[in-house]
Amino acid sequence: MAVIKIQDLAKTYRVYQKREGLAASVRGLFRRQHRMVEAVRGISLTVDEGQFVAFLGPNGAGKTTTLKMLSGVVNPTSGTAEVMGYVPWERQHAYRRRFALVMGQKNQLWWDLPAVESFRLHQQIYGIEPTAFARTQGELVELLDIGSLIHQPVRELSLGERMKMELVTALLHRPKVLFLDEPTIGLDVVAQHSIRAFLKDYQTKQRVTVLLTSHYMKDVLALCERVVVIAKGQIMYDGSLAGITGKFGGHKIVTFKFSDKAHADVASRGEVLSCEGPRLRLRIDRAAVTGVLGDVLAAYDVEDVSVEDPPLEEVIAEVFASAPNAGGPAESDPAPVEAVER
Amino acid sequence: MMQAIDDSDPGVRRHLGVWRTCLGNGLIRDMMFRGNFLIECITSMAWIVMNLCFYLLIFQFTQNIAGWEKYPYFIFLATGMLVNGLMQTFVMPGIEEFSELIRRGNLDFILMKPIDTQFLVSFHRVKWASLTTFFVGLGLLGYGLWQGGYVPTPWAVAIYPIYVLCGVAILYCVMVVLASTSVWMGRNQSLGDFWFYVTIFSRYPLEIYEGSLGQPIRVGFSFIVPILLAVNVPARFMARPLQEGQWALAVYALGATGVCLVLTRWIFVRALRGYRSASS
Amino acid sequence: MAIGSRVVQWWTILRISLEERLVYRADFALGTLMRFMPIITQILLIRAVFESSGRERIAGFTNNDVVAYYLMVLISRAFSSMPTLASGIAMEIREGDVKRYLVQPVDMIGFLLLKRIAWKLIYYTVALGPFALVFYLCRGFFPGWPDAVTMTAYVTSLLLAFLIGFFLEALIGMIGFWFLEVSSLLFIYMLLNFILSGHMFPLDFLQQFPIVQTLFTSLPFQYLAYFPAAVFLGKISGPDLVYGLIIQASWAVAFFVACRLAYALGVRHYSGYGG
Repeated sequence: MAVIKIQDLAKTYRVYQKREGLAASVRGLFRRQHRMVEAVRGISLTVDEGQFVAFLGPNGAGKTTTLKMLSGVVNPTSGTAEVMGYVPWERQHAYRRRFALVMGQKNQLWWDLPAVESFRLHQQIYGIEPTAFARTQGELVELLDIGSLIHQPVRELSLGERMKMELVTALLHRPKVLFLDEPTIGLDVVAQHSIRAFLKDYQTKQRVTVLLTSHYMKDVLALCERVVVIAKGQIMYDGSLAGITGKFGGHKIVTFKFSDKAHADVASRGEVLSCEGPRLRLRIDRAAVTGVLGDVLAAYDVEDVSVEDPPLEEVIAEVFASAPNAGGPAESDPAPVEAVER
Repeated sequence: MMQAIDDSDPGVRRHLGVWRTCLGNGLIRDMMFRGNFLIECITSMAWIVMNLCFYLLIFQFTQNIAGWEKYPYFIFLATGMLVNGLMQTFVMPGIEEFSELIRRGNLDFILMKPIDTQFLVSFHRVKWASLTTFFVGLGLLGYGLWQGGYVPTPWAVAIYPIYVLCGVAILYCVMVVLASTSVWMGRNQSLGDFWFYVTIFSRYPLEIYEGSLGQPIRVGFSFIVPILLAVNVPARFMARPLQEGQWALAVYALGATGVCLVLTRWIFVRALRGYRSASS
Repeated sequence: MAIGSRVVQWWTILRISLEERLVYRADFALGTLMRFMPIITQILLIRAVFESSGRERIAGFTNNDVVAYYLMVLISRAFSSMPTLASGIAMEIREGDVKRYLVQPVDMIGFLLLKRIAWKLIYYTVALGPFALVFYLCRGFFPGWPDAVTMTAYVTSLLLAFLIGFFLEALIGMIGFWFLEVSSLLFIYMLLNFILSGHMFPLDFLQQFPIVQTLFTSLPFQYLAYFPAAVFLGKISGPDLVYGLIIQASWAVAFFVACRLAYALGVRHYSGYGG
């Protein structure tokens, strides 16, 4: 049963251009130049109940903007979306009661207060019945192993611990849909690992529908089967992780171990990645692999050969880079100074 | 484990419950920085004392200011302190933060809560130290009544708090509208500055706004942006009862409060629509 | 570092910060005009006081004199107020940025002084428009231009007010070498400044309280706002004027010395902590 339905969702911002120099700034007092930035260009997606989907994409791809539209925080320029039957940007109370958004490195807890006070406020705001609330809070705190920390002021906690508090806050009202925007960004390896473990466990047990954005491969590998690759505001790929290599991996990595030494003319058959003694690693176009293998095995004495897929990061980076530009700004434009919705 | 979800629209009780929790949280937080708290209390009092000294000095040279004699003027000042104290304790912290959140595009978390956004944004921060102004105002009120030999009628005593709250409501509306406009105008002047300018005008009796300079101010700030009503109306009830034309002004003040609240709500909702959170 | 290249460096910094201000254009336009709001209510209040009292003069000031006084105080304070100077110094000390002054051949106080001069020059050049407009509109309150001697004395007193204001606030900032929290001290300073400098009312109003008046006039604060304004309006003249200028200059020297001393001692204290 589809919980999230997105159809041709798009968002364009007007960004004011700041020009260099004093004279231009004075002119800017009277007339401002602007350009349009297409953050999201027609995204369509369906997510079923209980699925864990990752949005993978480089910075500026439109992942966070999409999540914000689904959270009702940003109004789309065009397109439709429905989450649990509600239109997010209508911001109905009933909808807001049923989902949660967690943003990496952004804190919604009161900075100077112990987390437990913020939890209590959360209970009041969401109208959670006291006994149920106590039970939920207890479970979550135990699962994340932060019992000793909830009475400390949030500003005294480490980044990882703060993130855990944010997760608890988000889950206290037992949302059916969870949006996670780069939850592991900036965290150390240990913290990243424990948060991933928690998310996996929680999602499986509670059958929560989760949308996670990240640019860390490890998040995706650990947590979900379904990956949506977004770049420059568009979906480039939607499917399993393994399938990416199949669809986009244009190369293979071939390693030859010769019985005597590496041969120079073999090296010319592809891009040399490394050459140590008798071992030669080449990157070869997928279509050419069989041909090269045949030739080399026939011509030389080869002790061992292996054919591998390129590392996933590389493939994905290639996918990002291959995304078509919008009709608008080039990559090298300066960062926007301020932006106002059109 | 399934949990029944409370789908009913959040009622008054839930909002009050949230407010109570915020009051408590604000107190906990202020007590964490006791030194700061104390300093703020002391500086508030110092400013008030200095202002009082100024007027004591002025009253050496004159019997009244625009018809307000010494002790009625003190009552006027006291009313100003009550209104200001309430504003700065319960309202300004939230609205100043609102202004910052809009500027930084960080209003997101508040927008996602299943509770009225205007309510949350206005009242979820509390600065207890500013209550000092309120209590000093109460003291000055008592002193002014006592020394001036005024015994307020039960009627005045009943109506005075209502009009003090109306004054707070009017100033609240002005500040919310000012904060909301920063959605459309890029960065505004710091909201604290605007508050300063509002208090500059609202803290004097209507009567001084005369002549070619004062009349337009009096009219503008009584009928267009009625900040002059905030302190003047309640103060008159207490200090100068039985004045003619007072009832007309009082009824008007009530009406103005209502109109302001409705208009503010309308502008706020519009501003939220125009709000765009900061780019990722 | 040669003066020429230093000037270029400061010009760049100031130009960039001015540009930054201009990005928020509504902000800038509004801000400059808003500074004059308090004058309006002061004018109205003073007129109400004079009318209700039926007097022509209060402590030797006519109605117009008082308004003119408040306007002149604006100018005095344009010279003598130093926003963020003390807190900036304290923060640099707290955050350890002050180390660069110790390591590089840059004199902290001199650097800050020149920076502040340039800042004020730029700011008031741009704000000259609104200022001129307001003063033109209010020209009726003034008794006319003072003579050349008084003008010279006035300009001198303004410059001295700048120096006193700078070194006094820099001195407060230096306290940051010994105490972490300078802001409470600053609060007290600003509170005192408001009333003692003549910002709130002309100090002549205290005529009926000679003890209080003597106290106020023996403190340096009056030279930050009251003294220059009174000189311009001709309220202080002849030997009193000369005497006043000498005292003002002495205060400037005193604070200069105190500031340098505090800096030297502070640096020694600070370095003793290993940074």
